[in-house]
Amino acid sequence: MFMTHFRNEVERVRQVTCTATESMSRRRLLASIAVLLVTVLGPRAYGRAYSGGVLPWEPSETQPPMPVRPGQWLYFTADEAAVVEAIVDRLIPLDDSGPGGKDAGCALFIDRQLAGSFGDSRRLYMSAPFTNGTPSQGPQSPVVPKDRYRTSLTALNDYCKVAFGGKSFATLGTSQQDEVLSGLEKDEIKLSDRSGKEFFETILQNAMEGFFADPIYGGNRDMAGWKLIGFPGARYDYRDWIERYNETYPLPPVSIMGRADWNTPG
Amino acid sequence: MVKRLPAKDAVIIGLGWTGSILGYELAKAGLEVVALERGPWRDTATAFPTSYAQDELRYDFHHDLFVQTKQTTLTFRNKAGQTALPIRSWASFLPGNGVGGAGVHWGGQTWRFLPTDFRLRSHLEERYGKNFLPQDMTIQDWPVSFDELESYYDRFEKLCGISGKAGNLRGQIQRGSIPLKVGDRMNIRHLR
Repeated sequence: MFMTHFRNEVERVRQVTCTATESMSRRRLLASIAVLLVTVLGPRAYGRAYSGGVLPWEPSETQPPMPVRPGQWLYFTADEAAVVEAIVDRLIPLDDSGPGGKDAGCALFIDRQLAGSFGDSRRLYMSAPFTNGTPSQGPQSPVVPKDRYRTSLTALNDYCKVAFGGKSFATLGTSQQDEVLSGLEKDEIKLSDRSGKEFFETILQNAMEGFFADPIYGGNRDMAGWKLIGFPGARYDYRDWIERYNETYPLPPVSIMGRADWNTPG
Repeated sequence: MVKRLPAKDAVIIGLGWTGSILGYELAKAGLEVVALERGPWRDTATAFPTSYAQDELRYDFHHDLFVQTKQTTLTFRNKAGQTALPIRSWASFLPGNGVGGAGVHWGGQTWRFLPTDFRLRSHLEERYGKNFLPQDMTIQDWPVSFDELESYYDRFEKLCGISGKAGNLRGQIQRGSIPLKVGDRMNIRHLR
């Protein structure tokens, strides 16, 4: 009874895995089975249930990679997501060399980061005392990134509505968007009482992370960032290439979860 | 509630490089050893697989291999007159966590201290005079000398497989090497 149920579940997971367009791999399958075992075996299982695509973090564990699942926003509201997509698409615009920040999934990346351990600083020391220190003492704010994003995005739209006749950032023309982003970068635009420059630097940093981090995090879609700079990605072994100077590495990039064409049933 | 475990001859706290080497030596000498480690068990196949050890976001940006400051952190200041504040996000140094300790992100170089580093107070006073060091400067000589440690340096370098050609052997600049002279410090430009 149990084994039949288990086999059916594995078969279901396998079918889902094989039909997914994004690279789903044996590792994801195994992770799914681990969740299944927990579900099937009940409270005495040796595994642990989790949800939301983010593993519960324990300081004494080594965890496998956990690819984000594309789909609806986990943290952003639709309005916030529209602003973030517009910003990342101006930071990394679509041109002849490849897709822009939006199509490369940078907003999805930032959404998943904010929904995870980066967003609430859960791995960081976040207790008192909160005192402004010197630059070399590093960040000392009690405000976690996901809250900073939310208040900054709200304040950005408030600014745009006043400055551009009721329009939100996402509905501005690209030259007006660039004007606003330059104003933030130069710290000429404040976001309520906060520095616009600080927010600009944060979202630029996160957009670059999204564009160049492994696609398992939701950005760098189809390894667009890596193709752009000729980075081979998570290749297993380069020993054959170590002493071959001034030659172009010919193999296409590969993600931690492989490549789409490796995972498509032939 | 408190569980009393069998007594051992030696307890090692922290299973980084030092703890591992010491544990091995003590066990080889016939002692029973127990090691305590606050972080995860690590082995090459599961903690550093070549299929995802390249994850720059996870390891380089989010410091996944290191102590998370939520677990434990330090306070920091540059000058005595400043107020020390907690380090919330590592920057200038990355404390290790788990079996292997900070050795898991070892840069692959070991540098010997210079003979004068072991007798720094004496060296500076001999060279620049008794009054050269300010009263409140706490520099001391080490209780061991370079010569006493040299054979251990040698053994350690062989243990970790240090290779390459020294630039300067007993004052002779070696051909085809980076000729660091006595007194040169490691300079990152030499490595680029």
